[in-house]
Amino acid sequence: MDAAAVADRIEKFLREQFLVADDDPRFSRTVDLYEHGYVDSVGLVELLAFIDEEFAVEVPEEALLSPEFSTIDGIAGVVAALT
Amino acid sequence: MTVHFAGPRDANVAWDGTNLARAADFLPGGPPLDGLRGAAASVRGAPSTGWRVYRDPLGINKLFWARDPEGRLHFASRPRVLTAAGHRLADVAAVPCGTVVDITGTGRVARAGSVVPPGWYRDDPDGHAPGIEEIGARIRTTITRYLSALASELRPEEAYVCLSGGLDSSGIAAMAKAIFPSTVAVSFDLKRPGRNPSDDRVAAGRVARDLGIPMLDVSVTEDELLDHLDTVLVEGADWRDFNVHAGLVNAALAAGIAPAVGTRRALVLTGDLANEFLVDYEAETYRGTVYYRLPRLRPAALRSWLVRGLDTSNREVGVFRAFGLPVVQPYAAAVDHYLAIPEEFLTRADRKNALDRIVFGSLIPEHVYTRKKVRAQVGSEEVGGVLAACLDRGIDQAWLRRRFGRLHGVEDDADLDRFVRAGRYRSAVPSPQED
Repeated sequence: MDAAAVADRIEKFLREQFLVADDDPRFSRTVDLYEHGYVDSVGLVELLAFIDEEFAVEVPEEALLSPEFSTIDGIAGVVAALT
Repeated sequence: MTVHFAGPRDANVAWDGTNLARAADFLPGGPPLDGLRGAAASVRGAPSTGWRVYRDPLGINKLFWARDPEGRLHFASRPRVLTAAGHRLADVAAVPCGTVVDITGTGRVARAGSVVPPGWYRDDPDGHAPGIEEIGARIRTTITRYLSALASELRPEEAYVCLSGGLDSSGIAAMAKAIFPSTVAVSFDLKRPGRNPSDDRVAAGRVARDLGIPMLDVSVTEDELLDHLDTVLVEGADWRDFNVHAGLVNAALAAGIAPAVGTRRALVLTGDLANEFLVDYEAETYRGTVYYRLPRLRPAALRSWLVRGLDTSNREVGVFRAFGLPVVQPYAAAVDHYLAIPEEFLTRADRKNALDRIVFGSLIPEHVYTRKKVRAQVGSEEVGGVLAACLDRGIDQAWLRRRFGRLHGVEDDADLDRFVRAGRYRSAVPSPQED
């Protein structure tokens, strides 16, 4: 699966799960999800469970702690590489 | 090549289903350790034999490491020991839960493997899982045998059971009474001027009376409780409120037990881990704000997350160790049976009650089965609790995080996010060489 398609599904999940408004000007695929408060530590667990179920991928710890795993595009890249 | 271990060593109370593991079992060339359950972490060896590094599958005992510029490995059971020795927290990692590593005397990793059973965190049982009656019977047998092994091999003169009056701790107290030569219940309460004893204190007293065991009342003021904050942050190796609040209760209990023990051999037993195994946690609300929020996951996935999260929970082992007390969480011995419980059962509102009637039956008084659950760190509505005691003084999650960072010499807050993420420590297999 290509990274763009993964990013679509992750963005949809984040918007629905964490109630991100459609017109939120700060929210984007390159925003740091943790730094800007869209995802907290508990939310990250929900995101990982979603990735596990949706893409049948278990994110390894080194990827989880990588700088890439903080934006939608970065996460999508990690997940796409694992599928 | 050298390997150093610094600071306190926590008690190893793991067993193989029959006997407790001995110190020699953790030496290089020893048994594979894949069948051990319960708390253990170990770094043993010498340049002439190589070293063996082990951490139990649930990660109950903690083990951290850092590598110095010369490739020497430094281990400790608390991150603070390593940061106090000059390592940056950013360079400290945990040994992954359930890992055995053999390192040769020349510094080569000869073997690194996981002893976590592959089926533990599988959501979909293979269809051969036993029924709940059978699982309950196995849990009862396992815990009974484990407690018997502790009694006969460690020979404690007294077993202190942290008793809240709830199902988990009452079950352990009842079993301990039957197995240990002397069992004492210990009950926590916050002193509040003009208030009655808490629901927990009253319930614990009733259970202790019914079981025929003496009870040690540990009642502390809020000031006395909060005096333990730094101890809990350091020994608990975490800053998150749910662990710190529970750790404060344990610190108060430990401070009450230690002088009563004196120079006698004693064990502390707790009813911890049953909540993780049975997904029996809920978020709590105080003054309109939600605390201890849980991820919105299916029950089996939530159980996996809670159990894996024991990696970062040192609120029992670490905190009691700080007061010189070895603590045992007997439910850990039965982890395989708990994780075999199908998700369907976990969706039942009465799951713990139903299972514990099988496990403990009439060993514990009937009123325990019908009592509403109260968390010690939350308290009842009238009394308040540790959560309120902290928040009312401005000791919130942000405060705890800052204090933990300061105690560990952290200058960049992002280092904390990289130390614990998604409920687990940053972990890596210790190796003298960088990957």
